[in-house]
Amino acid sequence: MMKNATQRYLKPLAYGMALVLAVLCASCEKDIDIKLPAYKEKLVVEASIETGKTAQVLLSMTAPYFGNVDLSDPSRFFVKGAFITITDGLVTDTLKELDPSTGYLYLGTKIFGQVGKSYLLTVKYNNETYTGVTNILNPIPLDSIYFKAERDTFGFCWAHLTEPRGQGNCYRWFAKRMRDQFFVAPYNSAFDDKFVDGTSFDFSYERPPQPGERDGYSDQPNAGYYAVGDTVIVKFCTIGNAEYLFWRSYYSNRSSNGNPFAAPANIQSNVTGGNVIGSFCGYSPSFDTLVIKK
Amino acid sequence: MHLRPILALNNLLFLPVLKKIAILLLFCPLWAAAQNFTISGYVRDKSNGESAIGANVYVKEGMTGTATNTNGFYSLTLPAGKYTLVCSYLGYDSYTDSIDLQSNLSRNISLAPLGKNLAEVEITGEKTDDNVQSTQMSAVQLDIVQIKKLPAFMGEVDILKSIQLLPGVKSAGDGNSGFYVRGGGPDQNLVLLDDATIYNAAHLLGFFSVFNGDAIKNVNLIKGGMPAQYGGRLSSVLDISMREGNDQKFQVDGGIGVISSRLTVQGPIVKDKLSFIVSARRTYLDVLSKPFFKYIRPKSEFKGSSYYFYDVNAKLNWKISDKDRLFLSFYNGKDIFDFKDTESSFNAHVPWGNTVACLRWNHLYNAKLFSNTSVSYTNYDFSFTAAQSGFELTLFSGIKDYTAKHEFVYIPNPRHQLRVGVNYIYHTFTPSNVSARQGETTFDIGKIIRLYSHDAAAYISEEWEITKRLKVNAGLRFSYFAQVGPFTRYVKDQFGRTSDTNVYKPGKKVIDYSGLEPRASVRYSLTKTMSVKASYTRNYQYIHLASISSVSLPTDVWMPSTELIKPELGNQYALGLFKNFHKDMFETSVEVYYKTMTNQIDYKEGAEPQDNVFDNPDNAFTYGKGEAYGAEFFVKKRTGKFTGWIGYTLSWTWRQFNEINYGERYLAKYDRRHDGSLVITYDPNPVWNFGLVFVYGTGNRGTLPNGLFAYEGGVSYDYGLRNSYKFPDYHRLDLSATYTPDREKQLARKHARMERRYARKGKDLSTIRLPRSWAKNYQGSWTLSVFNVYNRHNPYLIYFDAQGDFLKGNYTVKGKQVSLFPILPTVTWNFKF
Repeated sequence: MMKNATQRYLKPLAYGMALVLAVLCASCEKDIDIKLPAYKEKLVVEASIETGKTAQVLLSMTAPYFGNVDLSDPSRFFVKGAFITITDGLVTDTLKELDPSTGYLYLGTKIFGQVGKSYLLTVKYNNETYTGVTNILNPIPLDSIYFKAERDTFGFCWAHLTEPRGQGNCYRWFAKRMRDQFFVAPYNSAFDDKFVDGTSFDFSYERPPQPGERDGYSDQPNAGYYAVGDTVIVKFCTIGNAEYLFWRSYYSNRSSNGNPFAAPANIQSNVTGGNVIGSFCGYSPSFDTLVIKK
Repeated sequence: MHLRPILALNNLLFLPVLKKIAILLLFCPLWAAAQNFTISGYVRDKSNGESAIGANVYVKEGMTGTATNTNGFYSLTLPAGKYTLVCSYLGYDSYTDSIDLQSNLSRNISLAPLGKNLAEVEITGEKTDDNVQSTQMSAVQLDIVQIKKLPAFMGEVDILKSIQLLPGVKSAGDGNSGFYVRGGGPDQNLVLLDDATIYNAAHLLGFFSVFNGDAIKNVNLIKGGMPAQYGGRLSSVLDISMREGNDQKFQVDGGIGVISSRLTVQGPIVKDKLSFIVSARRTYLDVLSKPFFKYIRPKSEFKGSSYYFYDVNAKLNWKISDKDRLFLSFYNGKDIFDFKDTESSFNAHVPWGNTVACLRWNHLYNAKLFSNTSVSYTNYDFSFTAAQSGFELTLFSGIKDYTAKHEFVYIPNPRHQLRVGVNYIYHTFTPSNVSARQGETTFDIGKIIRLYSHDAAAYISEEWEITKRLKVNAGLRFSYFAQVGPFTRYVKDQFGRTSDTNVYKPGKKVIDYSGLEPRASVRYSLTKTMSVKASYTRNYQYIHLASISSVSLPTDVWMPSTELIKPELGNQYALGLFKNFHKDMFETSVEVYYKTMTNQIDYKEGAEPQDNVFDNPDNAFTYGKGEAYGAEFFVKKRTGKFTGWIGYTLSWTWRQFNEINYGERYLAKYDRRHDGSLVITYDPNPVWNFGLVFVYGTGNRGTLPNGLFAYEGGVSYDYGLRNSYKFPDYHRLDLSATYTPDREKQLARKHARMERRYARKGKDLSTIRLPRSWAKNYQGSWTLSVFNVYNRHNPYLIYFDAQGDFLKGNYTVKGKQVSLFPILPTVTWNFKF
């Protein structure tokens, strides 16, 4: 008698359970039309100077994120005809546009970066003035660099560093293989000495893609690895604190891409003047070469 | 370590001073010279001995009366004479008796639950107009019987969801835990279960609250005009009383549902004296989902994930004598969420829960003076462990309190009620701590950070009926907070690097704060059914909840006030008009409020959880102000076949932080311009009951990227002004139907069937006995609940899905919305015997 009663009550429940589960697991995701508030474009400044080189500035505009914007031609956002100067307190240099018909890249000619100096960058565009200040600090060298294989003949480039105590130093790592054209900084390549101040430690970075390899890089076999037979040149740069905060917020911003659980990470620019985003970064490199032998 | 907190309590210098004030007031000639006597006693439910909280006890002559307190105790002091004593309480037959008051009288009242005929309920007395008469404004008392009639989400009756249907109280949306009262954050609500604090009142992501409806008796929500006996939070008090346990007979109730089941057992250990109640509840999504994924959706990314929660409530209630009562209550609940992504070998294990215990002693000195003393313990902890390929990271946090409270209540006559009390809490906070392991190697991330503090308060408040029209409740609360060691402060240099450390020994004071909190509310009766009320309250809040993301998660961390985090201060002004219509059948009110909040905390822009390591967590915060104002409209129908309410709130909630949004004022993420709810329950007869809930709210606010640009070969985002984006509006309709078969008819039909069978078989009809499974006291019912009837896709998250390379010109962006709950029907079978 009790068994029948139980069956009578529980059968509709069992059907109900299956139904609810099926429905629960189909958590809905759909495309929607997001109406963003009216957007005022900002100037993007990607500026740097390093020991022995002249200043380099890339100038573009931000594009509205969502809405009827034509993103098929990125050169539409390059900035032409801006007036850019750099001064070290004594000499002032006006940067020249490499190609006036496209704009975007501006190069210095007279001032070459020197350790211990401060530089002021001034950008005048569209009746607005933007400025940024940076320094080229004393370069902290790595003790050594070496290769550690992860998989067969592929692995990462490692470095050993004795970090000077109490100086508040920040760093950025660039690397390239002998045959590559550009020094590229990998993801999260900037760090400060908060955890490592005064300690002797080892760290490594993966191999970042060269500009031509970016498309589909992560699908490549052995993406991110160096290989036996490569010669790796590491450009380990010492940078200032404001510049480090820019790079940290920049990587935070890129990784929060679309992640709704992350706090919106605003980029902490060290270029000021209003509607501007970007940095003026002084790099103080020290170079090391690693030949990965068998 | 336990002695130190008690020593600290004795050092509070103001305590003897307040005792003196209390004694002086006792001798003040505040009442008439005529000989007065007191009639007092306890009001309880006749069927199970449960105390009736907030029952009206009054005399028809002169219409003087009072309401029972949380123990069901009332005390009425009147001049000698003959009176008609009436006691009325919604859901019960009124009690009327003639008394001749010539000396102090002790009269306990047993109320009978309303008879089965639920046709128009006659209101015999006129004291069911509490919302017009009491000085307490901005407060709502919800009876569990009312709450149980509302459509239940997944078959679980939910107190938090029910209070969110009231004006001024907003939910955080589907899947978000916490609630917001009048523009205050989710940490600004004091949630009490029988005097013990509950820190996280919701199970996973706010789908269910930690309160099992079968164990709860009464829910009281105070949104404004907070009286002096409550403190420590700026915005509200949610005071929940557990049932005491049937002291007449053994009772079992429960329900088996599609997602969860519950069971409550209660009864007398010694009839009329000692009773107990134990309630337990568990969901079994984990047990069901495993076979579901194995056979039906083996490729699903959720395969191997499971979630379940359980909770247990228990209470022991001992009526030692007419003068002494002792209660011991206990709660333990835990949620366990496991996520396994079979493809990437990533898995996460997330347990969290509350444990609460409280011992309370209620003592009657005489008919006019009684006291409540309680000690309680509460512990909330949470941990998140993520593992991938041998690397394991654990984030954990928690908060633990030891609390002691004592209060005297003195009722010299119906026009005065004096309260004097002290509270003390010893907090131990474990804000976000991280530990990491790679295979066999454990990373050194420094010692576990724990923060200790003393939190104390003393208060005095007096409720005074100055004239028949004017009643005032005035109180003063003095609060004190001290952070004590063991504690290490990392002193920062200009780079933000640690240059020095200050070490505090255990018990040594790091910093302290104190303040006075005046509270006042006034009621002026314009007519017998209409009154205007005004209130002003000032509150300090010494503990804070910091939320790192825009979606609320159990990763939100509790922090005490420190040298860097100052106490939050709130000032609230409220004004309201209250009117009852048609012999209290309709309660209506309009209330406007204005609130300022200072020392609000938020994470600095760009803060990351690992900033905590080798550092004081409070370095990651920034401070600012909040401002909230609005108007609440409320119409409630209390009696009849149709009951329910309609509420609407129009409000604004602003925040201003110097370091956020360039220092410009911005709307809080939970700012909701319009918030409305409609609740209807229909009881046509004792067998069927229907419920309807409709809610509408302006969407929450968030920050989305407004622009994009290329930088060093990658794409970056230019975020818009903080919270400048408004999510699509939220609206939803829920329906429910409950079928409770008429037991008498069922028994009669069963008996008739057996008679026919016996007759066929030629058996003696006098030997008919109903089988034991048909126990007379058994009552079953079925509930069908449909959540989100028209399948509205309310947004839980909005994000952008970007594909392609900006520099190559093939970059596309799609807006995407994730919703959690489509239409959800559930069926529950409830039983009781």
